[in-house]
Amino acid sequence: MMTSSLLNSMVSTVAAIAPDTAGNAAQPAAVGHGPSWVLLIPFLPFAGFLLNALYAAFGVKSKLPAWTTVGLLACSFIATLSMFMGYDGTPYTVQAFEWFSIHYGDKSFVANFSFYVDTLTIYWMLFVTGLATLIALYASEYMSHDVGQGYNRFFAAFALFVVSMSCLVMGDNLIMLYLGWEGVGLCSYLLIGYFYKKPSAVAAAKKAFIVNRIGDLGLALGVYLTFVHFGTVQYAELFASETLQSYMAAASHGDFGAIPGEAQWIALLLMIGAFGKSAQFPLYVWLPDAMEGPTPVSALIHAATMVTAGVYLIARMYPVFLVSENALPIVAWIGTITAFLAATIGMAQFDIKRIMAYSTVSQLGYMFAGLGFLTPTGGAYHVLTHAFFKALLFLCCGAVMHGFAGQLDLRKLSGLWKVKGWGIVSLGMLVGCINLAGVPFTAGYFSKDTILAEAFVTPGYAFLGWVLILTAGLTAYYTFRVFFRVFVGPVEYHPGDELHDHDHDHGHGEEHSHDAGQHGDHHADHFHPHAPGWAINTVLVVLTGCSILATGLYFVGADKDAHTKHYADTMVSASSASYHSHYGTHAFEYYEKDPEHYPQPGHGPRGSIDAPLAMPLTGGDPHKMMYYISGVVGVIGIALAWLLHYHGRTKASECKMDAIAKRFGPLPRWAENKWYVDELYHAIFVKPLRIISHVFHWVDKLLVDGIVNVFGFLPRVFAWIIRPSQSGVLQGYAVSMAGGLAILLFVVLIIVSRAGGAS
Amino acid sequence: MTEKLAILWPEIFLFIATCLVMITGQWPSRAIRQFTPWICATALVLAFFAAMTSPATQGMFPAIVPYAKMIIAAVGLLILLLLSGTVDRQLELDVDNGKPFQSIRSNRGEFYAFFMFSLTGLMLTASADDLIWLFLALELTSLPTYIMVAVSREEDSSLEAAVKYFFLGALGAAIFLYGFAMLYGATGSTNLNEIAAVFASDGISSIGMIGMLIAVIGVSFKIAAVPMHFYTPDVYQGAASPVSAMLAFVPKTAGFLALMFLLGTVGWGSGLGGGHLPIEIEATLWIMAALTMTVGNILALLQSSVKRILAYSSIAHSGYMLVGIIAGPGSDGGAFYQNGLAAVLFYLFTYGVMTVGTFAVLASLEHRNGREADHIDDIRGICKSHPVLGWTFVITVLSTLGFPPLLGFIGKLGLFSAGISAGHYALIVVLGINSAIAACYYLRLVAVAYIDDTEKTKDPVYTTPFIMRPLAGVLSAGGVILFMVFSGPIVDGALNAASYVAPVPADHHDEHHAEEEPRTDEVALLED
Repeated sequence: MMTSSLLNSMVSTVAAIAPDTAGNAAQPAAVGHGPSWVLLIPFLPFAGFLLNALYAAFGVKSKLPAWTTVGLLACSFIATLSMFMGYDGTPYTVQAFEWFSIHYGDKSFVANFSFYVDTLTIYWMLFVTGLATLIALYASEYMSHDVGQGYNRFFAAFALFVVSMSCLVMGDNLIMLYLGWEGVGLCSYLLIGYFYKKPSAVAAAKKAFIVNRIGDLGLALGVYLTFVHFGTVQYAELFASETLQSYMAAASHGDFGAIPGEAQWIALLLMIGAFGKSAQFPLYVWLPDAMEGPTPVSALIHAATMVTAGVYLIARMYPVFLVSENALPIVAWIGTITAFLAATIGMAQFDIKRIMAYSTVSQLGYMFAGLGFLTPTGGAYHVLTHAFFKALLFLCCGAVMHGFAGQLDLRKLSGLWKVKGWGIVSLGMLVGCINLAGVPFTAGYFSKDTILAEAFVTPGYAFLGWVLILTAGLTAYYTFRVFFRVFVGPVEYHPGDELHDHDHDHGHGEEHSHDAGQHGDHHADHFHPHAPGWAINTVLVVLTGCSILATGLYFVGADKDAHTKHYADTMVSASSASYHSHYGTHAFEYYEKDPEHYPQPGHGPRGSIDAPLAMPLTGGDPHKMMYYISGVVGVIGIALAWLLHYHGRTKASECKMDAIAKRFGPLPRWAENKWYVDELYHAIFVKPLRIISHVFHWVDKLLVDGIVNVFGFLPRVFAWIIRPSQSGVLQGYAVSMAGGLAILLFVVLIIVSRAGGAS
Repeated sequence: MTEKLAILWPEIFLFIATCLVMITGQWPSRAIRQFTPWICATALVLAFFAAMTSPATQGMFPAIVPYAKMIIAAVGLLILLLLSGTVDRQLELDVDNGKPFQSIRSNRGEFYAFFMFSLTGLMLTASADDLIWLFLALELTSLPTYIMVAVSREEDSSLEAAVKYFFLGALGAAIFLYGFAMLYGATGSTNLNEIAAVFASDGISSIGMIGMLIAVIGVSFKIAAVPMHFYTPDVYQGAASPVSAMLAFVPKTAGFLALMFLLGTVGWGSGLGGGHLPIEIEATLWIMAALTMTVGNILALLQSSVKRILAYSSIAHSGYMLVGIIAGPGSDGGAFYQNGLAAVLFYLFTYGVMTVGTFAVLASLEHRNGREADHIDDIRGICKSHPVLGWTFVITVLSTLGFPPLLGFIGKLGLFSAGISAGHYALIVVLGINSAIAACYYLRLVAVAYIDDTEKTKDPVYTTPFIMRPLAGVLSAGGVILFMVFSGPIVDGALNAASYVAPVPADHHDEHHAEEEPRTDEVALLED
């Protein structure tokens, strides 16, 4: 084994080095070996990371890092596209190198640095690399005021994020997933804290990291328990293991008592990890604060890709979730609570980027609810459409922020559509908003419907379904509140406070030089908004196009043989995320032959396997009725927003809603203050912990350190005692050597004679 | 005779180079004088490749020769980089200033020659199969180093160190020669294989046992183990840093090879259920190992001279490696982590690379008046003032500490796991405690180099004009990183070299020989 790596050597303590067993570890025959160029997908961004680090080391002061990153990410996207084109329906693995390979007794722990490619992987990687490329291009212009060290640092972390995300999504085992999981967490931390001179950014970065720790602990324990219980962390082996198959069989009859509690706990632990990373209640508090990072980061990491890692984890490990009695119902409930709670907070915010942040939390809640309603397809479909329109919305907000000197308050901006150069941004915003609001025949409408309908199809979730429908109405309202306040109506704008900011002035210094002496006196006539340039506009046009075209995905890609209805359904159903594939790929045939013993495909193991439930109140198939219900709800929300925030509005800061809000008493204020959840956490967790930490600090300092210092002191005492032996006198050394020899022999003689006497 | 010649090619190359450099080092033409180190380097490279193709030998350690000589040549090259220029610098400066070159007053040729002699002796130790051969080889390894210590610096302290080293070395040699004589008296043979056969058939007589114990304790002078360790700090400090680096690797390797060969004659098949040395030897080595580590580590705590710290650390490392010697080849010789001898052979290489790197940093720094960097204040803040040297120092010191995941950690892990699988739990606890104590002074070195700021002292350190010395340091640090990632080939090499064929009783030698064959094949199969 010429390349047996460090860790291999390190961990093989109890294991014989057995090089020949590593390559052909027992893997199901279905998983073949793929072409090695697939490795380019993570390694090209990694090269980008290294190059950017090198640029930083050499102090490159140009846009070179941006072009490097964009170019390499584009190549990575092309590689992903080829992976999609060349996929022939059988999952395969590609090994980069041997990582952990320990064999002891008849057991083994194998987690190689290899990638597992199936349709779910491809589905995720396509939008991850695609959006990363576009957003890197956007960032090349957006971050241009920081050209120099900051620019290099930004793109290095950006590229590293894509590497980590690739490991997370493409890894062939849970250890790789964990590696990527921590990697994206690190990059998220680095990029939220990008403006590290700003205390709020630093605090937000720390908050994100610490809150994610809680989730990561759950994930780590889940991975550990997976290995303990199933003896493997590799997906292919895990899904093919007879243990899991037998649990699935039991779960399909609702016989959860037959499944050991240990196995059921795995899903609950993994779920906690997913809640942390995907900002679900009660761990969602970090995501809104994460908007302190540069907007491209918010768009890519905190809206489109990283935060969907939790959805990916649950979708990937769906078989494990299915065999847990409580995991998926909890996921459904938490998702719904999150969706509703975040929407109510979003309604009362004034910072448009924050509104989008809460909207992201809310939409992630929908995705989790979808997973909980046994439609991973719905969840994953919403991930895809949301990735496009939410990235678009964020990038539009970012363009506004960039052009209006950091102004994000919707009370201080109005009628941007009519300002010269802002047409593309406004159009992009409109397209994003109609998607998010769920206006009929948009991509967001179809994907949300898939989830909503399933709430009424899967027994026991009708209440959650109604809550989510109400939330859809709120979503439409707060989304168009932003649009009607900021982009239409009378033209009025006040620049933000970044004009004084030296970091920001760097790029626009000449433009605003006449403002220099007029602190706090920026009126519209003194201030010239800085319309976006070609890079931002290009990306916005492309993303607007993508968001519109994403609608088409609902009508293409159906696979009659697999009983799938559209692209996302086909992709998800052919992977581990599809539950019908886990009750046998031939679930439909089984059901037709023996409906008594097999669940109806599409309706899961938990409830009735009779005819689909009818939609409450209206009757009819929920899949069809939902088109009308959610469409109507969405339009009502938009109409309300029009009435309250646009109709008859003459100033940016005043609208009809202000009067109505007063009638609700303190509620709007509470909502604006995020229902005081942060304060609550501070009182419940932070303060007591701080007090305890002070106590432990003193215990540590006085008691523990005292003991340790004594033990540290002892060797020194011995040293003082034996130090005179090193006198430096030659005769003394010679006598000591001879004497030592004699004493040693004497002692050995005694030992041996005693041992001999004893035996 | 001819089959013996086949494994001696590396020594022959080195010897030829030795003869050549004695002449070229004194040559009136400067160009040829400066060619001297290149001759040494060429010989070492040739020796490396010659060692690679060495055939297997008959005897207890059939495959040890290639591995041992390859690591000797490789680390020897690193040491050569450090040594080059040690004694000739002042001389060449004088020549630059117009003084004529006087070969009678120069000892530059001898210096290289002695270095090559010492390495030749070391390689001969690896080839030894006879007590006489072993004695001569060990002395050939040591004698030149006495002189190298003396001439490495023009200071009284190095002369004092050399005298101490010489006298104590002579005493050590006398002790193990006494032991050898008793072994001969007990078995009637000086051939190690024959001695082993006699022990296997007739058991170990008391005179043989005492001879073995005295020989083992005497040889432990070479590895600087208690009670033969006293000279180490004085000599390391007195010698120039490059020579100290050489002393840390060359005699130690010789000593451990000699120990393996000597102990191979009694074998690791005693005790209940086998797997142990005879109890007398095991008890001796056990006490020596425990004392050596402890004394080395705790005395290092009090030092303020980096070279003395490294000297005590060298003592402590001998103690660690003795654990591997006690553990022996293990019940399953095919597994690296059960084979103590493989762990020792791997660790020798590891230790050589790391320690040369640390000494190279010291050798690369000097005060304005040419005095070498030695005091701990001299390395304060070198990560900031001399980043390359500083990081080399940090990496090599951390590796010597056994900081995961560096190379030293892999080596130490091998010793630990070999000791555990051989059942020496108490000794492993001692080893663990000692590693913790050692962390104290190693981390102090790292902290001083990395965290502390350079103090504005009156006598700051500067980089020496020898580019080769920092290069040796950087190569060592690079080796620490590289072999950390690609430890596989060396682990496999050490494992192969440590394959041990237990001696068979002399009477039935011929009959049993046939039965022995498949057993070696089995070992070979396990290694593949």
